[in-house]
Amino acid sequence: MAFVNLQVNLADLPAVRELKMEPMSPDYIREVKTQLLIIWPPLLMVAFIPSVLSGQVFLLAIPALLLLLALLISALVIKEARIKGIALRDHDIASRSGLFWRKTILLAFDRVQHVEVSSGPLQRKYGLASLKFFTAGGSGVDLKVDGLQRQRAEQIRAYILEKSVAKSAA
Amino acid sequence: MNASDSSPNWRRTSPVAVVFYLSRLLTQLGKGLAPAAVILLAGMSSMSGSSKALAVAGAITMLAVVVVSSVLSWLRFRYRIDGDRVLVRSGVLHREELSIEFSRIQNVSIHEPFYMRPFSLSLLSIDTAGSQGKEVVLSGIDKTLAIELRDTMLAQVVPAVDDESADQPLPSAASLLLTRGRKDIVVYGLMANFTLWVLVAIGAFFGAWETTEKMIIWVGQYIRLEDVLAVINPDAGFLGRLLVITALFIAAVLMLPLISIIGALFRHDGYRLSVEGETYRKSSGLLTKHDESLKRHKIQAVVLKQNFIARCLARTNVQLRVAQSGTGTGGGPIPSGTKASFLVPALHPHEVHTLSAEFLPGCEMEKVQLSRINRRRLAFVVVGVCLLPILPLTTVLSVLLGWKFTVLLPLALAIVWACLNRYWKQTGYGVVGEYGFIRHGFIGTQTTIFPLFKVQRVDIIQTPGQRKRGLAQLSIHLASHTLNMPYMPVEDADAFRDLALYYVESEQRCWY
Repeated sequence: MAFVNLQVNLADLPAVRELKMEPMSPDYIREVKTQLLIIWPPLLMVAFIPSVLSGQVFLLAIPALLLLLALLISALVIKEARIKGIALRDHDIASRSGLFWRKTILLAFDRVQHVEVSSGPLQRKYGLASLKFFTAGGSGVDLKVDGLQRQRAEQIRAYILEKSVAKSAA
Repeated sequence: MNASDSSPNWRRTSPVAVVFYLSRLLTQLGKGLAPAAVILLAGMSSMSGSSKALAVAGAITMLAVVVVSSVLSWLRFRYRIDGDRVLVRSGVLHREELSIEFSRIQNVSIHEPFYMRPFSLSLLSIDTAGSQGKEVVLSGIDKTLAIELRDTMLAQVVPAVDDESADQPLPSAASLLLTRGRKDIVVYGLMANFTLWVLVAIGAFFGAWETTEKMIIWVGQYIRLEDVLAVINPDAGFLGRLLVITALFIAAVLMLPLISIIGALFRHDGYRLSVEGETYRKSSGLLTKHDESLKRHKIQAVVLKQNFIARCLARTNVQLRVAQSGTGTGGGPIPSGTKASFLVPALHPHEVHTLSAEFLPGCEMEKVQLSRINRRRLAFVVVGVCLLPILPLTTVLSVLLGWKFTVLLPLALAIVWACLNRYWKQTGYGVVGEYGFIRHGFIGTQTTIFPLFKVQRVDIIQTPGQRKRGLAQLSIHLASHTLNMPYMPVEDADAFRDLALYYVESEQRCWY
């Protein structure tokens, strides 16, 4: 057995696996779709160039294949965005992501060195923001949560800061 | 403090520091320009007179610039101790002012490079953690001052709890934990990574520690034997090159252990590890004396390392890992074994035991029972990945050269299987009380023991296949490094995570 001499009963501990994840804002899905619409049509236009220039019909296969690829990738990207979720507990935050490599990240508020809220032009259009959490140890951004409503992001940041202040005061 | 300076409390270091800046700058420059210089030198013979003169003039100008900027670096470096923080002003073109609070200091070490010893001067390097993480070196300050500063800094690292030991006269309270004789250091040199040691020896010689670290990265990235050969011997045919390669190889094989041992002696001769209260102190070094200190509560993890040679000699190297400086964006590869760790070399099994108990209070190492990962899944993935290149290769070979080559396939698979089986046997995880254990290994082993409450972040990753079979990969991020355990039963991964979070969230002690 891997766990010996424990001072707590494993069964009594709150299990992360049973957490209910809160999905990202519906606006986030809209933002992702807009992003896809910005990226793919110009690429498809470019793909037409060979056949237009040479006048060869079979070269139309390039945009056709690209269109298929675009549809496939878009479907996966949107599905991935739907899978994303976060959950807040009293002392930590959980985030779930990844279509194939399903990843859950758990971060205790007490280990957060600083929090950053950022939003790009497209995010601002949809009233969204990203939350970035940094911990010690030189691994860069430890947890990035995309697709939160700006208000919600600020709210979470305030919640975490309040929690960590409360703990250091105790 | 001395008030004779232009601005009252700001102090300047000794002029000998110029040598330090010079060596640091030269090694930094050397890294960037060495390949160019080699090519330039090789091309010199074919150059015309005027371009030769130009090249020489360029080199001289550059040298002059280096010397001038070293002198300027020294002139512009000022420091000042203000209550419980140290302020540093430095920089020639880009001015910088740093303020380091004593409580943020991870590690203070004193180095005495050979060129400073006649003047009884030393380098004091202060290592901090945090987003502005940067090592500050006060080069060329009086040795007594360095020791005094170190002691004040360390005394303040621990809050009130440790009053008693901070008040005591320091040397008398220290108790010796371990010494290493020449023989132990030679053994350590044998075990150490050869190429690494050459560079460490160079670094120790100049006392420029961070430079060594960067050089190690650089060597890994840029030196290619082929390039060197192309320059040495552009006209030699295949046979000539083969001869050169063989000669170099033999020389390397004979020389490297020797260089490695010499490097180890330079760095670790006269190794002494002592403890006073909460502070570990080690001193060592042949020409350049190194004196490093570490507070017990700064230890994030203890790593027991045993490679192939160490295994044969029944020795273990122990590293005490502390938080790595900087939450740098990008964050390049930081080689393990240098700044972020505190080395205890070439330990016998019983010493490993007593010292681990010392470094990790309350850890009952002997009770650990490591669980193994899922062999079937590991084998499935490893063999699968290996078959991809092996299968086409053997098919092509047997079609082109004859059926006998089909033997290669089972042979290759047998080797792959033996390797992964070996890895599987050496790899495991476990928890004893409030300490986590993660072991990896192939020929040697590396065991990391860490207090669960010092965990920074936990990830669990599952592929669809792993989800179906109830397996998961666990990643534990410590402030010092990241530990991964693949193909764990998902219940164990979950339990590890829940337990770590429990300690992180209920523990009142500070993790740093």
